[in-house]
Amino acid sequence: MFRPRIIGFVCNWSLPLGVDFASTGTIHGYPKIRIIRVMCIGRIDPVIVLETFAKGADGVLVIGCHPPDCHFIEGNLQAERKIRMLKQLISRTGLEPERLQLDWAYASEIERFATIIDVFRNQVTALGPSPLAGKKPDQGIMAEIMAAKAVAGDSRLRTLVGREKELIEEGNVYNEKVEQEEFDEVMNESIDEEYVRSRIHLLVKDKPMSVEGLAKHLGLDPKKVLRHIVVLRQRGLVALDRIEEEDPLYIALEVT
Amino acid sequence: MFQKVTVVSQVFKNKRRLPPCRAACPADVNVQGYIALLQQGKFEESVELIRKSMPFPAICGRVCFSPCQDACSRKNIDQPVGIRYLKRLAADIEREQGRIKPDPISKTHSEKVAIVGAGPAGLSAAYELAKLGYPVTVFERMPEPGGMMQYGIPDYRLQKYVVANEIAYIQDLGVEIKTGVEFGEDIQLDTLRNEGYKAIFIANGAQVSRKLGIPGEDLKGVFHAVEFLRHVSLGKTVDIDEKVAVIGGGNSAIDAACTSLRLGAKEVTILYRRSRNEMPALPHEIEAAKEEGVKFHFLVAPTQIIGEEGRIKIIECLRMELGEPDASGRRRPVPVQGSEHTYEVDTVIAAIGQLPETSCLPSILLDERARAISVDSLTLETKIPGVFAGGDIVTGPASIIEAVGAGKRVAVSIDRYLNGEDLRNGREEEIEETNWVQDWEKITKKPERYTAPHIDIGRQKVSFEESEKLLAKIKEVATFEARRCLECGLCTECLGSGELCEADKAVVDETLCTGCNVCAVVCPIGAIKKNEIGVAQVNEDLCKGCGTCSASCPERAITMQKFTDAQILTNVAATLGESR
Repeated sequence: MFRPRIIGFVCNWSLPLGVDFASTGTIHGYPKIRIIRVMCIGRIDPVIVLETFAKGADGVLVIGCHPPDCHFIEGNLQAERKIRMLKQLISRTGLEPERLQLDWAYASEIERFATIIDVFRNQVTALGPSPLAGKKPDQGIMAEIMAAKAVAGDSRLRTLVGREKELIEEGNVYNEKVEQEEFDEVMNESIDEEYVRSRIHLLVKDKPMSVEGLAKHLGLDPKKVLRHIVVLRQRGLVALDRIEEEDPLYIALEVT
Repeated sequence: MFQKVTVVSQVFKNKRRLPPCRAACPADVNVQGYIALLQQGKFEESVELIRKSMPFPAICGRVCFSPCQDACSRKNIDQPVGIRYLKRLAADIEREQGRIKPDPISKTHSEKVAIVGAGPAGLSAAYELAKLGYPVTVFERMPEPGGMMQYGIPDYRLQKYVVANEIAYIQDLGVEIKTGVEFGEDIQLDTLRNEGYKAIFIANGAQVSRKLGIPGEDLKGVFHAVEFLRHVSLGKTVDIDEKVAVIGGGNSAIDAACTSLRLGAKEVTILYRRSRNEMPALPHEIEAAKEEGVKFHFLVAPTQIIGEEGRIKIIECLRMELGEPDASGRRRPVPVQGSEHTYEVDTVIAAIGQLPETSCLPSILLDERARAISVDSLTLETKIPGVFAGGDIVTGPASIIEAVGAGKRVAVSIDRYLNGEDLRNGREEEIEETNWVQDWEKITKKPERYTAPHIDIGRQKVSFEESEKLLAKIKEVATFEARRCLECGLCTECLGSGELCEADKAVVDETLCTGCNVCAVVCPIGAIKKNEIGVAQVNEDLCKGCGTCSASCPERAITMQKFTDAQILTNVAATLGESR
């Protein structure tokens, strides 16, 4: 029978007392969620979540205090923005975004805690083992997750997520407030662009490739790929390697 | 009127940085510390920590006016942490396991210390001195020690066994309490000196009721609150009738009113010369009195009490208006001419304040107007070297916790005096409140949806198993309540061991920082800011180590000192590596 391996990132302040997290990270009666306690779920870097998937976790559950309570005032809301972005990012890859979940519980709600874990376990069990788990992880999906990880670690999306509240509630430097919908659009677009660029960048790291070859590999319109290549060249991440049979081949530059 | 003593606590540092709750506490109780222990469900350790700074956790948990709670930063978000309830609960849970008997402390000093008055000031000084190893004798004129805690606060607010328990704890340490000894008659300053007491602390309190000073005050049926409450506590019959008027707006007035109800009065009315807002009584006590059926008439002052055949018939009053603020900062009541009106009553209890017990004291100790003992405000030493005074006798009627603060200060002074050290050296201190929120305007307010539960264990009739469950539930609620603490103070507050302590700090790699300011935006407490060269800088005093900045930094320039990303991933790998 498939028993999912789930990592639970739980904030120190919503972790019920008496849960033995130190030794094995198990909850009595729920032996197969492994709890990693953090001071605040705002600490959960998107890169950490993606790396956890890359290491073969079947599911990642993040539990923090119910808004509007938070020991750090709004760390939980910061985490919510990050997880929302992450789910969109993961949906671009071959991994099911349902493997990631954020939920709220108070330390006093042991039963709720148990229910959340139960429901999430069932959800992950239904999805089956992660394609990245086991001895032979799916290389295609692994490449996608690695690309996603690079995006999550890069400044564009992180800046957007970090500034989301400020942009929507307080406005930018010109005192223009951004509507949530407009922000979501920008976010969506950014995720799309950055994810594809990241994939291109990682692909040409291995060997020089042409626009045609990249487009074929990624299943995209070559014109779009060319535009991304232009941006990547401007950023100094990709350079022309050589021209082969009239096709320019591109290669990733070592960033120093 | 009375000399106000500014509270300086006993640690010998000139500058201390304290969280608002601790800074507000006259007895310097480590509030944040015991709250931090409660967060981890460590109830006994928490009471131990309170005992380090004062001997009355259960008493103060019940009746303290909790300045800590008023100062709590959390009030800027929703409501302050229910500090007093938590203290009471922790003390009660400790007592559930039976009375704690400390080992007596061996007497490492030979100089005897005499303390006059076994109230909160005298007892806490005795407690501190006993801990230092001095032989201490406390003289008390009443049959039981405790002072106003024993005879001033009625049983329904502060149960006598609670007082007895906490005093027994002090006695167990080796403090001797002699009751039934009247200062001024049985003992004098010189007789104490002759008996070999090297230092004397006078803390006989303010237990003389202030008189109304109106015609008819000597009629039968006119009581004064302190004597009235003392008689009730002593179990004497107090002859009150059906319609009681209590005059005054302090806690004694409320206590007298609620006690009258319990003695069988049908109608109890509080007459107060100012309005509700100026009442010095604790708000929750006023509410409780209202719920019990006590009536309130504001802006009235009695002018005379009229009797018939030796019994009170009516009380005549004048209406008042509020004028300019007076020395106490409250608006002064001004009589409205021709507004005389009467109330039909048969008992009057005057609760308009107390005066220090100065009649038994040698006049050299008293201030010019002979209203109180004059002391040095820093050392609490009187004009006679080696004789100290503190508590209500110096300040006029105040509170338990202020008396405890005075007792602690005197203990330090006496210790220095007996060791021949300078009493003043290094004792003046400046307290700076630490607070990690610099701009409360920027903090998201939360709805006030929570009231601290008035937990009362033991009254409900429950079976043993149920009570176990109830206790577990209460502990859970308390732990949650403690977790509302924002921890304004620096670390080290709870004195927990390294194992308990998880404080983390953010560190900025300046070579990676681009000065984009995202960290400053996401930091909930403004602990990270761009400095003058445009690089993010962590204010280590403010940083609570939540890690949100580290997880948000676009350039990944911020790492955490202890719980780094690599550490988290190692934990992830380790837990995933376990067999399925």
